Amino acid sequence: MVAYLTRRIALAFLVMVGVSIIVFLLARVIPSDPVGRWVGIRAKAEQRERARIELGLDKPLYIQYLSYMNGFVHGNWGTSLYTHQPVLRDIATYLPASLDLIIFGMATALILGIPLGILSAVKNGTIIDHASRVFSLAGIALPTFWLAMVFQLVFFRQLHILPLSGRVSMLTAILNPINHITGSNLLDSLVTGNFAALGSALSHIILPGITLAAAPLGLMARMSRATMLEVLGEDYIRTARAYGISEIRVLIVYALRNAIAPVLTVGALLFAESLVSTFLVESVFTWPGLGFYASNAILTVDYPAIMGVTILISFTYIFLNLIVDITQAFLDPRIRIS
Amino acid sequence: MFTRKNYGRFGTAIGGAILLVVLSFAAIGFSQGQPEVAFYADSHAIMTYWDPSLSYSDEVFVMQNMYELLMYYDAKTEEVNPGLARSWDKSDDGLTWTFHLQEGVKFHTGKPVTADSVKRAFERTIEMEGGPSYIWGDPVDHFEAVDDLTLKIFLNYPAALDILASGAYGSYVFDPDVADTDWFNQGNECGSGPYMLESHQGTTEVLLTKFEDYWRGWQGKHFDKVVVKTVEQASTRRLMLESGQADFTDSLPMPDIDALEGNPDVDVVRASSWQNSLALFNTAKSPEHPISNPLVRKALAYALPYKKIIDGIMFGNAVQARGVVPYALWGSSDRVKQYTLSPETAKVLLAAAGYPDGGFSLVATYSSGDSVVRGMGELWKEQLANLGVDLKLQAMPFDSTIAKGQAEDPNDRQDIFFFGWFPDNADPMSFLFSLFAAAEPPVLNMSYYNNPVFEALILQALRVSATNREEAINLYVEAQNMLMEDCAGVGLYDMDILNVKRASLKGYVPNPCYTNVVFWYDCYREE
Repeated sequence: MVAYLTRRIALAFLVMVGVSIIVFLLARVIPSDPVGRWVGIRAKAEQRERARIELGLDKPLYIQYLSYMNGFVHGNWGTSLYTHQPVLRDIATYLPASLDLIIFGMATALILGIPLGILSAVKNGTIIDHASRVFSLAGIALPTFWLAMVFQLVFFRQLHILPLSGRVSMLTAILNPINHITGSNLLDSLVTGNFAALGSALSHIILPGITLAAAPLGLMARMSRATMLEVLGEDYIRTARAYGISEIRVLIVYALRNAIAPVLTVGALLFAESLVSTFLVESVFTWPGLGFYASNAILTVDYPAIMGVTILISFTYIFLNLIVDITQAFLDPRIRIS
Repeated sequence: MFTRKNYGRFGTAIGGAILLVVLSFAAIGFSQGQPEVAFYADSHAIMTYWDPSLSYSDEVFVMQNMYELLMYYDAKTEEVNPGLARSWDKSDDGLTWTFHLQEGVKFHTGKPVTADSVKRAFERTIEMEGGPSYIWGDPVDHFEAVDDLTLKIFLNYPAALDILASGAYGSYVFDPDVADTDWFNQGNECGSGPYMLESHQGTTEVLLTKFEDYWRGWQGKHFDKVVVKTVEQASTRRLMLESGQADFTDSLPMPDIDALEGNPDVDVVRASSWQNSLALFNTAKSPEHPISNPLVRKALAYALPYKKIIDGIMFGNAVQARGVVPYALWGSSDRVKQYTLSPETAKVLLAAAGYPDGGFSLVATYSSGDSVVRGMGELWKEQLANLGVDLKLQAMPFDSTIAKGQAEDPNDRQDIFFFGWFPDNADPMSFLFSLFAAAEPPVLNMSYYNNPVFEALILQALRVSATNREEAINLYVEAQNMLMEDCAGVGLYDMDILNVKRASLKGYVPNPCYTNVVFWYDCYREE
């Protein structure tokens, strides 16, 4: 296990270095105006030249990269050309909001998607199976932003039962401000006993969370169905049933445990991917998360921010993949870490 | 006996009870006394600069409520009104200005606003050499605090200091004793304005609360708190306005504005603005390139369907530009040449230039996502196609359009640059100098126009504008006609301010000098 982990960490380091070089070069190749972004487009030529030196843009590209990476490993992820704040501080500001949303969305997708897939597999060929498949495909196929806007129109404008946007209501933010510890509104309000804010945070996360969950839910339902169908056709399942083991136990203990591995792998990848693909959901629901930050960074060619977000996402992918591999080995003794 | 089914039902009941309690607390929270809160839904990220000496962007919506200026420009009357300065006068030669400050004004830090603090604040802005520093740095020689409430400013030339000091940027008064860029960037402010910063969330949300010791007092109706929040999605901003969650937004797409016109709960505020849209022609390409020929550029100007742009793209919310200074700003005049759509004239000009059947293509760049410019470009493309000219529209991120425009070789730059502009203050120089004065490398002069006679005219106008407005106007007219004759660029339209607000929001007065800024102290809600 130690040798395996050591090898994986070494590989991860190489991947991240490679990613950082590629992103650094790409951000420089794209025509942009980092000086104008830093001092404002109305700045005079002398001000722009001073800014160019201040930003280190007068140095060779490899010096700029080495300088950036030296700062990176010492906790200085550069300063955003757009917000003029340290990139690490910006990420720390926006990441918790995305994590709140993604955890809620992915949990919803897992809690609903896997049982839906199991039900679909068990009721294979019936109307329940067909309805489940249509539902899953709709979740995958419908554009996220369209779904978000439809939810707003239906649940806010027509039914008046859920909020339109934001993480908490304006009045809650003013009258019952959350004492932030982690940056997660749900967690911080629960831990500090601010139940008014907790209620507001819960009601506000429902629509964006469900919107975000739609595609992963459909995907997990489809995958769970497919893997369950494969496993349910195995001899040992027939044997278990022949022994009189209850159907629930057959499904959960014998079948699901063997079918869950690919679903978990996909789920982990979806989680990492969601860190920035949430920008459409965040934009429609005015959710100030990492997706919003990353999309602004890309549109403004804010290369320090682009670097910071990309390296963070790369690390998350690598880390989650490692966790999934270890979890799979734990769940399925046939898989050996070697 | 508790079976598995009973445990499940019991668990569900407990979970539901907990949720009910939590949501009840949410309701109880709202039964407390509620402050009067205003909500501004902004279409962009807000606080990209926190330092008042460097602030040069959309944070102006917030900064103009946390900080104050010595004076404020009234675009309707073209007069300057008192701010922190209750009165002022200038010497006969226009080189010395004396400002008399209001009494009893405090910064949010608790310190008094004195002539010395104003002096040091402006000196800091000049020393920081940030974007707006040129506003003071060029004309000012030095400052002198005569006494606590009297500030003298000595100039290098007789500039219109009242215009400069009332501009939207670079003229904030702040407590210089605590001013530090790192301190500001941690989310702090030290203004004297009616609202102070209570909290913020990154660049996207700011909560302001009223400054109890504000010198103008709080008699009458005022908001207790103001929330300025980035709401990117236009559909969400519209829903917020319709439902009353937002009181004001800076912009909505034209179809949304049209749809809201009939809504009794919403007001569409139209006013003239100083924002215009221009097409700048690359005058620096190699001589054999068609765009280098003034006759070709004039043909392009005569091929623009101005009326269709105003009616079809801007839904009538603009007027055709005349010259490059917007009609609502002094310096504009009916004496400036205005191009009109005339395909026959365009054809004659092209033939005179040696292109009777067109036969060339041009690249026009614009900021991606700008559907207005896209629409204008398509209409122009259609007209030019009839003349045998192929107009290629290139959308790219705004920064990339600037980068392309600043390419070292002029032949690598775009042929046509679509650009929207608004001035730093109430002076036409911001259009004429910023956009058409020669600079190498180019900054914003994306026509690369290089005409020393033109520059001499506008600099002369700058120097006489403080003492002889009429002469300055004549000089600006002459300069613009020179520009139109050389056709380095053409004004497309002068746009109206189009803000959308709740009908219950009173006191908002649009001012093109402070575009989209709501001075919340003057506003209140009336149901």
